[in-house]
Amino acid sequence: MKSDEPRIGVYICECGINISATVDVPAVVEMAAALPHVVVSRQYKYMCSEPGQEMIQQDIREHGINRVVVASCTPRMHEPTFRRALAGAGLNPYFFEMANIREHVSWAVRDSEAGTDKAQRLVRAAVARVAHHQPLEARREPVEQAALIVGGGIAGIQAALSIADAGYPVYLVEREPSIGGRMAQLDKTFPTLDCSI
Amino acid sequence: MMDAGRHPNITLLTYSEVEEISGYVGNFAVRIRQRARSVNADLCTGCGLCQEKCPKKVLDTAFGAGMGQRKAIYTPFSQAIPNIPVIDRENCTFFTRGKCKLCEKTCPTGAIDYEQQDKLLDVAVGAIVVATGFAMWDPTLLPQYSYGLSPNIITGLQFERLSSATGATGGEIVTADGEKPKRVAILHCIGSRDHHAHEYCSRFCCMYSLKHAHQVHDKTGAEVYDFYMDMRAFGKAYEEFYERVQEEGITFVRGRGAEVEVLADGKLRVKGEDADLGRLVAVDVDLVILASAVEPQPDASRVAFLCGLGRTPDGWFAEAHPKLQPVGTATAGVFLAGCCQGPRDVPDTVAHAGAAALEVVRLFNQGEVTISPTVAVVDAAQCVGCGECILTCPYGAIARNADGKAEVNAALCMGCGTCVATCPSGAITALHFTDQEIVAQIDGLLQEFATVQDTHYAIRNT
Repeated sequence: MKSDEPRIGVYICECGINISATVDVPAVVEMAAALPHVVVSRQYKYMCSEPGQEMIQQDIREHGINRVVVASCTPRMHEPTFRRALAGAGLNPYFFEMANIREHVSWAVRDSEAGTDKAQRLVRAAVARVAHHQPLEARREPVEQAALIVGGGIAGIQAALSIADAGYPVYLVEREPSIGGRMAQLDKTFPTLDCSI
Repeated sequence: MMDAGRHPNITLLTYSEVEEISGYVGNFAVRIRQRARSVNADLCTGCGLCQEKCPKKVLDTAFGAGMGQRKAIYTPFSQAIPNIPVIDRENCTFFTRGKCKLCEKTCPTGAIDYEQQDKLLDVAVGAIVVATGFAMWDPTLLPQYSYGLSPNIITGLQFERLSSATGATGGEIVTADGEKPKRVAILHCIGSRDHHAHEYCSRFCCMYSLKHAHQVHDKTGAEVYDFYMDMRAFGKAYEEFYERVQEEGITFVRGRGAEVEVLADGKLRVKGEDADLGRLVAVDVDLVILASAVEPQPDASRVAFLCGLGRTPDGWFAEAHPKLQPVGTATAGVFLAGCCQGPRDVPDTVAHAGAAALEVVRLFNQGEVTISPTVAVVDAAQCVGCGECILTCPYGAIARNADGKAEVNAALCMGCGTCVATCPSGAITALHFTDQEIVAQIDGLLQEFATVQDTHYAIRNT
């Protein structure tokens, strides 16, 4: 598939009623369908669900979609999910753009008309942007298999022991002359009244 | 504690501090300063003779929480790991006045080394766990509790040292004049849940206060008055412990203690409102224990800078997600464990630390990390080598190459775009955030909608 001819699929998520209660989702779908390069424009109850992801993958295969826009929640949540879905259908995962119409629209706006307008603008912006995306490749780097723990209280000691028991070297750094931290200062601990050292 | 000291995979670096961290997930370079103990660890047998003979006594404000004394050469407590003393050079008679050297004369193995210098140690690690804990909030900031005006007004942590068998009184709960107290008041929420101090709940004070009530009652038979707002006995077997303490005959007063007055005879008058009775109450006691708040360490901002951490408005280190990533941080490969992220009790701390350890082990087992390709790239043809980008890059990811042109280390670059905006020649592009992409996006936001005639028809919902 040549990447210089965008064929864009747009998917508007209802997020149950989290988005659709405020945003007129069919109106956003209609608007997106009319945008340049948009080949498919759909809505679905949960785009992050398996059927939602399969819908995207099927459109990639059947309609030659080479750019994807999902309008749903924050990319912090599901951007990796959808990138994986693209990769699963053989598309470069960076041919993807997300419009946040939940945290930035339906959860933030009371007025349905204003919300729908904002959602449409965000989707249109994402469509315009995704058309310019280039394929990118994530790089892989080896990991130095040793850990630094800053602080030798009960938290640091516990983490150090678990990592060390898993077979990896640990540097446990403590500012005081001894490890033990606050817990070593305690005389018995609630609720069992057992010793703290 | 003992296990950590003996584990073959753990290098214990006590009396040490992290000075510098550079690099990125999977590949951090760390510089650690090992402060001079003034004791040769290879020769010291931990016999303790030096501490016995040392003539200089110092108020123990660290481990002892101000409830006892230590020597100028000391191990903080008898089960210390490692069992190697340090010389506190600020208080040691030899270091301050140039003579004494009693410890050197006493030491049977010749381990005392006044000339010892700090050592710098460079290590390479793939992951970092920040477990720097909490500090105790200073109750003198709320003067109505008279903290500091009587030796018999102490904090919960000071009570721990008073009640501990390794403390100055050998575990006897006594007032400053050595008498067993007849009446003791425990005040919850001092500095916590208070708009004048910390708004948050310090979370474990209710339970340790109940434990203190039990210990006072058990060891001294004193009447105990426990002033609380809400009893937060939320953990497993905690409510049952609360009931047990109630049955032991502790008097609970529902309402925050409002004031502690030091009377002319040295007694302490605690005043408050009993919300259940709907009236003001006052009780004269011999000992007051303030369940004072916990707060972020005073050097939390330095640690945050060092490790690339954010902080929540209350000052604790910020986790990557409050529910789904409670140990992750804004910096890949850096994890949080324990109270540095927020107040938590021992069982929750152990669980949190276990989760942090699993994240580290998961990373190590994968063996490699994925580096995002959304980084900055320099067009060498346009770069004039002015170096502005090198100065503004927050991650130290840009350097001049052999041709004097800027070059981005893709492994260090976080794709923030600062250099793109800085470059006077427009020679830097952020991949995935090119000018073209951003301008198209802005146009998309601002354009009025196309009219029907202009549109083509795409496939709609099925």
